[in-house]
Amino acid sequence: MNFKHKYVFLFPGLFVLIGILIFPIIFTIRLSLSGWNSYTPEMNFIGITNYIRLFTDDPRFWESFFRLSFLSVTTVILQYIIGFALALIVWREIKFKRFFRVIFLIPMMTTPVIMTVIWRTFFHESLGPVNDLLGNLGVEPILWLSDPVIAKFTVIIVEVWQWTPFMFLLLLAGLLSLPKEPFLAAAIDGASSFRKFVYVTFPLMAPISIGAIIIRLIEASKIMDTVFVLTSGGPGTATETSSFYIYIKGLREFQMGYAATLSFTYLVIMIISLTIIAKVLTKLMIKE
Amino acid sequence: MAKIELSNISHTYNPNDTNPTYALNPFSMTWENGKRYAILGPSGCGKTTMLNIVSGLVRPSKGKILFDENDVTDLITEERNIAQVFQFPVIYNTMTVYDNLAFPLRCRNFSDQKIEERVKSVSDTLRLSSFLKSPARKLTADQKQLISLGRGLVREDVAGVLMDEPLTVIDPDLKFRLRRNLKEINEQYKTTLVYVTHDQNEAMTFADNIIVMDQGEIVQVGLPKDLFERPRTTFVGYFIGSPAMNLFETEASSNDCVKINGTLIKTNTNLSKLKDKKIKLGIRSEFINLAEDQKHNLLSVEVDKVEDLGNYKLLTAKMGELTIKSKINREIEVPSSDVKLHIPADKCCVYDNEILI
Repeated sequence: MNFKHKYVFLFPGLFVLIGILIFPIIFTIRLSLSGWNSYTPEMNFIGITNYIRLFTDDPRFWESFFRLSFLSVTTVILQYIIGFALALIVWREIKFKRFFRVIFLIPMMTTPVIMTVIWRTFFHESLGPVNDLLGNLGVEPILWLSDPVIAKFTVIIVEVWQWTPFMFLLLLAGLLSLPKEPFLAAAIDGASSFRKFVYVTFPLMAPISIGAIIIRLIEASKIMDTVFVLTSGGPGTATETSSFYIYIKGLREFQMGYAATLSFTYLVIMIISLTIIAKVLTKLMIKE
Repeated sequence: MAKIELSNISHTYNPNDTNPTYALNPFSMTWENGKRYAILGPSGCGKTTMLNIVSGLVRPSKGKILFDENDVTDLITEERNIAQVFQFPVIYNTMTVYDNLAFPLRCRNFSDQKIEERVKSVSDTLRLSSFLKSPARKLTADQKQLISLGRGLVREDVAGVLMDEPLTVIDPDLKFRLRRNLKEINEQYKTTLVYVTHDQNEAMTFADNIIVMDQGEIVQVGLPKDLFERPRTTFVGYFIGSPAMNLFETEASSNDCVKINGTLIKTNTNLSKLKDKKIKLGIRSEFINLAEDQKHNLLSVEVDKVEDLGNYKLLTAKMGELTIKSKINREIEVPSSDVKLHIPADKCCVYDNEILI
C-alpha cells in the first residue's frame, strides 16, 4: 500500500502540534539568545550571555527552584498518603459510600484562584477565622502568611486541599480495577488487614501509584496561582517558586530574553529530573 | 483434615426478590476426610458458588456447613482454616518462594522452626525446593500455581483444599503430571481435596468421587465408572463421555423391549409399567459395535461417515431420522454402505422423563 495522500490527512494535527508546541519552544530558545527587554525590545543576538548570567549570577532562580522542589515533593507525598487513605476508606463497603466519594472530589471541582482567595481570607492574621478559632483555644495568633517558614506550609496546606481529590480519584479507580482473587487468597491464608495492605494492595497498586505521583509532580512543579494569590511569593522571596520568578522577570520586569533563558533551562531540568524520578519510582515500587 | 458436611444448603444471589433465582438448589452432601472429589459441570452451574460457600467467601442463603460436626456457617474465611486455589495463580509478588509458602503459617504465628520444617516438606513434594530463594514472580505459570497450592498444603490442620479449575493455565503434559502430583499429595498428607472443573477427563482421572452439577442442581454423585456406564440423567449421559451418549426417543413395546424405527431392542430394564409411554434409550458409542454373529438387538443402518481419530474410528450412521455414533477399533474395516450395529442389552440405559430407570 502506497498512500501518498496520508500527509494531507496528517497535516491538521501536525499544524496544531507545530503551532502550540514546537514553534513556542524554538521561539523560546531563540528569544533566550537575545537581550530583549523594555529598553531594547528587539530580537538581537547576544549569544549565551543570558545563560552565563543564570549560572553565575542569579542565586534567586536556584533558590526558587529548590523551594519549588521542596514544595512539590512535600505536597505530592502528602496528597498521595491522604488520597490513598481516603480511597481505601470509600473502596470498602461503607454506608453513604457514594456520598463520600462525591464529597471528597469537591475541592478539585472548584476554581483554584477563587479557592485560594478564600483560603487567604481564612488565614488572614488579624481578620481571618483560623487565628480567631485558635485564639478561642488559647493559641497565640500564628503568622500564616508573613512568617517565611510558616508561609511555605500554608502554601502546602492549600495545595494539598486543592489537589488531593485528584490523587484520590486516580487511586480509587485503581483500587476498583484490582482483581479479587489476591484478596481472597490473602483472606484464606489468614492475613491481617495490615499484611493484606503491605503484601497485596500496595504491590498491586504500585503501577497506578507511580502514574498518579508523576502526573501530580508535573502539575505541582507548575505551582503558580496558589503562590500568586496567597503570598505573591512573599514574605520576601520565602514562597517564590520557579514559575513565579520567571513570571516576575518576564511580565513584570519585561526582561523577555532572560525570562526565556529561565524558561528553557527550567524545561530541561524538569524533563531530566522527572525522567529520573519516574525510573527510580518504578525501580522501587515495581519489582519485575 | 476434617469431614466436611453441607447440610440443606441453598443459595441465591438476589434474596430480596419476590421470586429469587437459586444459584444452588437445596442439597446435602458429605465430603469424607482424606478423599478426592471433583465437582463437574458446565459453566454457570453453581460449582464455584458451592466452593465459595465451603471456603466462607459466600454465606449460603439457607443451610449449615459443618467441619467435623462443628458448625462453621457463620465463621469468616480466616477462621475456617480452609485452603483454596484459584483458576489463575495467586502469589505474593514481592516475596520469595519460601516466604510465599511460609506466609499462611506466619499469619498464624507459628515458630520459625516449625515453619521451616513445613515449608521444606511441602516444597519437596511439589518439587519447588530448588526455587525457594528465588523471587516468586520470576517463576512460570505452573510453578506459581504450585505455590498457590503449597500455601494450602503447608498448614497441617487445614480442613480441606478447594481448587477452582486450577490447571486452566497449565500446558497439557504438565497438567497430567500435576494431577498425578495432586494424587500423591492426597495420599501423603491425607488432605481432603475438592476439585472444580468443566473438563471431564480431568475429573475422571483425578477423583474418587465425581459430583455432576447442572443448573444449580446436583445431578449425580458417583465413581467415574458409574457416571460413564449408568448416567443417572440424560444430562449426565450427554455431558460425560466423548462423543456424548446416543439417545433415542422411543416407547416401550413389551416388558423389556423398546422399538427404534420399527426394530425391537431388548434391554435389561423392566419396562412393564411404562408401556406405550414416551421414553429415551441411551447407549454409549463405546458399547455399539459392528455386528458379527449376534442374532438379536441389531440395527440396520446406513453409514454416513467414518472419521479416523487416531486411536479409534468414529462411525456416524443414519437410520431414517436417527443419528447413531459408534466408536470402532481402528483395525476394523468399516463397509461404506449399509451395516448392522449390535446394541448390547446390558449396556442400555432407559430414561423416563430424563431420569434413569
